[in-house]
Amino acid sequence: MTSATRMASRNRARAVGAASIVAVVALVEVLIGAGVINAFVVPRPTQILLAIPRIVVEEHVLHRFSQTAQEVLWASLLIAVVGIALGMLLFRFRPLRLAFETWVGALAAAPIVLMYPLFLVIFGRSTTTIVMIGFAAGLAPVILKTVEGLAGTRKVLIDVGRSFKLSSAQQFRKVLLPAALPAVFVGLRLGLIFAMINIVGVEFLINFGGLGQLINELAERYDLPGTYGAILFVILASILFFDLTERIERWLRPVE
Amino acid sequence: MKRNAAGTSRRIWTLRVAFVIAALAAWEALAASGLLFRDVVPSLGAIGNALARVLGSPDFYANLAVTAQEIGVAMIIGGVAGLATGILLGANRFLSQAFEALLLYLGPTPKIIFFPVMIMWFGVGPGSKIAMGAVSCFFPIAISTAAGMRQIEPVLIRVGRSFRASPSQMVRCIYLPAMREPIVTGLRLGLGVAIIGTLLAETKLSNRGLGYLVIQAYALFDMPRMYALLILLFVLSIGVNALIGRLSRAP
Amino acid sequence: MALGAPSLGPPPSALLDVRNITKRFATGDGEIVAVDDVSFSVAPGEFVSIIGPSGCGKSTLFNIIGGLTGDYAGSVTVEGATISGTHPAIGMVFQEESTFPWRTVEDNVAFPLEIAGVAKAKRMERAAHFIALVGLQGFERRYPSELSGGMRQRVAIARTLASEPRILLMDEPFAALDEQTRLLLGDKVLQIHHALQQTTLLITHNLTEAVQLSDRVLVMTYRPGRLKRAVAIDLPHPRDSEVVSSAPFGQFVAEIWQDLREEASRGIEDAESRVRQQGTR
Repeated sequence: MTSATRMASRNRARAVGAASIVAVVALVEVLIGAGVINAFVVPRPTQILLAIPRIVVEEHVLHRFSQTAQEVLWASLLIAVVGIALGMLLFRFRPLRLAFETWVGALAAAPIVLMYPLFLVIFGRSTTTIVMIGFAAGLAPVILKTVEGLAGTRKVLIDVGRSFKLSSAQQFRKVLLPAALPAVFVGLRLGLIFAMINIVGVEFLINFGGLGQLINELAERYDLPGTYGAILFVILASILFFDLTERIERWLRPVE
Repeated sequence: MKRNAAGTSRRIWTLRVAFVIAALAAWEALAASGLLFRDVVPSLGAIGNALARVLGSPDFYANLAVTAQEIGVAMIIGGVAGLATGILLGANRFLSQAFEALLLYLGPTPKIIFFPVMIMWFGVGPGSKIAMGAVSCFFPIAISTAAGMRQIEPVLIRVGRSFRASPSQMVRCIYLPAMREPIVTGLRLGLGVAIIGTLLAETKLSNRGLGYLVIQAYALFDMPRMYALLILLFVLSIGVNALIGRLSRAP
Repeated sequence: MALGAPSLGPPPSALLDVRNITKRFATGDGEIVAVDDVSFSVAPGEFVSIIGPSGCGKSTLFNIIGGLTGDYAGSVTVEGATISGTHPAIGMVFQEESTFPWRTVEDNVAFPLEIAGVAKAKRMERAAHFIALVGLQGFERRYPSELSGGMRQRVAIARTLASEPRILLMDEPFAALDEQTRLLLGDKVLQIHHALQQTTLLITHNLTEAVQLSDRVLVMTYRPGRLKRAVAIDLPHPRDSEVVSSAPFGQFVAEIWQDLREEASRGIEDAESRVRQQGTR
């Protein structure tokens, strides 16, 4: 197939995918209208859509969005600084790496967010708690990827540095670090996404903060269209976040 | 070389033990100093006692069983749905281009925000927790499986077709065995998020399960007990994950 | 020397008849004709090779006859009945590594019987029979990763034979093997061919192999793939790899090489010009 026909068929497939979602939503609308689906359990899609502008205005969604965004930003800064530093440390001292890399790996798989009641006790019901949980959840991947990136530098590049008699500090700055950047960016992206997911989740759970809290509030008020609408809004925001971080990562990644 | 290896191994263990001892010592110092509000950092002894009490109470095991069951059922539902979806998307290029992006974009979203909807649909009992766990683990399993399907050597699929294997035979005899690694990876990731999803749901709204015990300890401000429960929770999660990893490597 | 002229129809004794097969593909450079009006037939018990340069459409033909590729003009007939799609009368052996790495040798060979629903005891018995036929007795419980490339191809052949096809269709099964292993495996295939009177259609680019094994060699042109020539190999049977050094053998090889060489150079020129074009884009 030509690349043109391939792209055409891919676009056709995407169109079909989008169309089927619309079709399913329309079907749900009809079924609710006909009483097959209980309108008290699933509000009509049209009502949900109408609720979105309402909550944007009444619930100050933009303000809440910026609250969540700030929390994510702080968590990201902490993750980047601490994560990369620890990663470099582990790489620099081989015994440390051998001793603790697997522990960090276990940490990455551990359900850190479950400790949120503990963080609540330590930091109170505050922004700090949320940022701390985001930090804790997103730290491990950054450490792991930093170590991986530094360790994965092709040996020939290191040999080139040695042939130019670079000191180990120069070697680190001019060879290892640039070579590790792609992996570091992948790790940062992962860490950011973990942080975002856990931050919004905890906002929901402790009923404090930005977007997550909004969903909780609307649910407790039994505002069904509002709740669904807010969930939809958060999903869209997280999709955008996911896409944005991917673009930034790709843009920042130096050409191999 | 051999001496070197033994030396390195000893150094690793020395470092690990040193780290743990240092951490525990720092903890105990913090607890005794009274810098933070008293019970926020309970003494190691208090935590130890609480651990013993928890492990000795049948109440704990009853709640553990509830949580384990919820997670188990969630994994089965999410796992089967995830595998089926992954196989369908991986086998058919058109379907993949139409719908796989949906999975990839919905995957990294905070699933716990769906919980109010799950409560409305499945009630306040275990149903909503199971639903939470199932929705959580569906995505990594489906995504891993779809990717795994595309990595199967094409010739193996042609062999199956040349012998006219039925679709269910293709799945059973060719797809699943060929995808053992990606499926196991997907299941491990799925288990991780299923545990999180189910437990968070329990902390939010439940009167049974480990999540409930944790939030109860929080409400009663029984800090040693909360620490004990969290420690057990972590040990169990990491342990189960490691177990799956170990089991999946044995042929 | 019958290629099977289109107007006369298939010879009455043909087991496999391939008639007027034409296959087109749409590519980046427009439409190409991979196979152009190819017709030939294979009699029961015959060993026919199709030889041609890379890019002549032989693998396309293989997939069409085996039923894995559709959407072509013409017909494939087995014993008078036109077939479309895969068919139990035709067994395929592929060029690439095709044994299932997660199954033992005997489970691999028993696979077609398992698909067909044969009971376990029976199919293991049949599998053992074919494993012995290819000379791998003793290796039943081993995994493909423990075997050499040549042994794995023997497993693949045994697996296809286990489905007892009327026609064995092979696409360059020895392409990945070294010359010596090829010759010896060729011997093996010939032995099996005699023992079972197995009708065989072999696709290959290896001239020596084609002449060593076949009763008839069909030469294909470079794209678009047409049948250029048929050469009857009347070397005595039973043959083994010793025959490679005989004089008549050399003559057949020389004769076929004349035709093949022309096609092979066209193929190389074509590839070079494509690379040159890509450079200027």
